[in-house]
Amino acid sequence: MGRGWRPLIVGGAVAAGTFALAQAQIFAPSAPAGGAVAGGDVYRGETIYQRECAGCHGAGGDGGVGPALAGAGLDAATVLAIVRSGRGVMPAGLVSEAQEPDIVAYVVSLSAP
Amino acid sequence: MLLGDVSETYTDLVTTVFSSTIAAKAWLASAALVLAGVQVTTAARIYGRLTFLPERGPAIARVHRWSGRLAFLLTLPVFFHCVTILGFQTPDARVAVHSLVGSFFYGVFVAKVLVVRDHSLPGWALPTAGLALASMLGVLWLTSSLWYFTTVRFGF
Repeated sequence: MGRGWRPLIVGGAVAAGTFALAQAQIFAPSAPAGGAVAGGDVYRGETIYQRECAGCHGAGGDGGVGPALAGAGLDAATVLAIVRSGRGVMPAGLVSEAQEPDIVAYVVSLSAP
Repeated sequence: MLLGDVSETYTDLVTTVFSSTIAAKAWLASAALVLAGVQVTTAARIYGRLTFLPERGPAIARVHRWSGRLAFLLTLPVFFHCVTILGFQTPDARVAVHSLVGSFFYGVFVAKVLVVRDHSLPGWALPTAGLALASMLGVLWLTSSLWYFTTVRFGF
């Protein structure tokens, strides 16, 4: 096999390694800080939070139209209840049922004192 | 250090500068894309195109090399977050395309670096590898940073 194939072979090996690393998710948190939320992923929840919640609660959870969440010490059950039922001007059902564990995991993590 | 602590430490570090880790990724990828533009422009000058730019020579070559190195460094935190924390995901077309192209990105990067150093390859190999790499970065930016800036928020 000629030397010309070397970039393709090595590049393919690196791509395969990257794919394997992505499948392993070695640094994915097993449970969010501030309390375990079954099936919830903090980092997926962050994406949802930035899209659905940050407008009122602030990008860093520092508050705005809505109350500050950062450091508020909320537990998973409280967050889930508010997400599902709404509170004040916050409407119910801002996120889908499938997204609930992720958003709860992130908000619990964000609100950890 | 437990593996779980690594992601928390990373998050704490990133959020000292940016509002969130996603915002950090969006801006780092944007900076890398700008530098990729510098890479393509300077490469075109080195190949005798874009003659309105300063004369090709050591200065252009130096800008090309350092813009590439800096762009590579800027992608590393994004790589760490996307690959080791989020992993390969396919919940919708945008994320699936992003995951797929992202998986190949560093493979193409390594191939391009090897092509640079292998002078026995045909002349079209290097511009092809470079354009492929820049195009992949463009697709990755379109499916992440642009989505973030237009759908989520435009801010740090």
